[in-house]
Amino acid sequence: MEKWECTACGYIYDPDVGDPEHDIPPGTPFESLPDDWVCPQCGVSKEFFQKMD
Amino acid sequence: MRTIILGNGLAGTMTGRTLRELDSSAEITIISQEKYPYYPRPNLIDFLAGELPLNRLFAFPPGWAEKQKLEIRLGKEVTGLDVDEMAVEIDRKERLKADQMVLATGASPLLPAIPGIDRKGVFCLRTIDDAVSLLEFLSTGPEVVVLGGGLLGLEIARAIHKRGLKQVTVVEYFNRLLPRQLDETGAGLLQSQLEKMGLKFLLGKEAVEISGQEAVSLIKFKDGSQLTAGAVVVASGIRPRLELAVKAGLASNRGVVVDDFLQTSRPGIYAAGDVAEHRGRIYGLIPAAFDQARTVAYNLAGQIKKYEGSIPANTLKVAGLFLTSAGLISPEGEGFEVLSKLDKENGLYKKLILKDGQLVGAIWLGSKKGSQEITRLVQAQKNPGPYKSDLLADDFDFSRLNSLY
Repeated sequence: MEKWECTACGYIYDPDVGDPEHDIPPGTPFESLPDDWVCPQCGVSKEFFQKMD
Repeated sequence: MRTIILGNGLAGTMTGRTLRELDSSAEITIISQEKYPYYPRPNLIDFLAGELPLNRLFAFPPGWAEKQKLEIRLGKEVTGLDVDEMAVEIDRKERLKADQMVLATGASPLLPAIPGIDRKGVFCLRTIDDAVSLLEFLSTGPEVVVLGGGLLGLEIARAIHKRGLKQVTVVEYFNRLLPRQLDETGAGLLQSQLEKMGLKFLLGKEAVEISGQEAVSLIKFKDGSQLTAGAVVVASGIRPRLELAVKAGLASNRGVVVDDFLQTSRPGIYAAGDVAEHRGRIYGLIPAAFDQARTVAYNLAGQIKKYEGSIPANTLKVAGLFLTSAGLISPEGEGFEVLSKLDKENGLYKKLILKDGQLVGAIWLGSKKGSQEITRLVQAQKNPGPYKSDLLADDFDFSRLNSLY
């Protein structure tokens, strides 16, 4: 599954890890994150993420 | 141990949050002039574009601060700073003492000192309140002029255009867009791409007056030319908010001067983010504010940590256009090697700057493939070794660079 990077602060969302702090279980692809999910590091919205190669 | 943090922007909030991670018993108070809880400023762009509702600008859910045991006092103005007693005065009446302090007061928009800058219809974009009043004014559908062709100016222009206002012109003082991130070739390419989307540009123009009956109607330039404008958005840089620090006698220059531990001239008082000047430099960028906030938090927690500076790396997204600019992009002097590739038809421009074999700067426009790997290479000031001649190839397998680390 593809990793996505926050263009504001550089945080990398790794689907294999998820975002346990915000109840996102491992195995959740970026596309399936809820609309109101925000960067756990700096708080920008999903729109600021870009897919990594 | 009580820590007072002045400011709840990114630097202040992240300092508080990191300090809490490091020390579960620290008493942490954050004092905020704004009445809203922390929100990342880039979200204002999406809000302006109509892509993000107001209630989703905020980074953390209600109750977050309580859970983190952070005392965040919103809508409070710090009216005095007593560095000898390590105390602050709030709203001219309350006095709070601390063991250590952090100045994270951020910056204000830099407004050019020209006649009419305070006229109705002139805006800037720094806070939620700024965004709300700008949006309200835009509902009448004015011709919009954005003063400043830097990152923020372009983002604002794109957002306003996306919202449905078709007459949006960006005015830039330099003769190219993004003078800090792009060279002439790259800026020209970016401009033509943005023009295709419907934005207009005026380069090499210095505004000298904003005139009108009551509200703005005209911008006058130094060369005698003028431009009709129903609304003006100023995005021509930031000014660190130093007043408190200066009055308190802390060493300051353009920003509050900090050492490599991000400590000000008064031991126990630190500064981070847009207000801090480290080795002569004020970054005004999120990743740098983030690095600084974390460093300050470690030092506050007694785990001494040094800050060596941040290498600016920006990935800009203007309506689907990717731009990465990292490190030194317009080298001056001798000893540099420059490799570049321009493909106008496909809107592609790549440039690499090397010194003594090490990669010290890069521009990557129109393609995101490889941009992260190149940025990392620049940040690590790596020698690309055997791959140097392959880096500009569109089909290069960038994962091969991993062998360099």
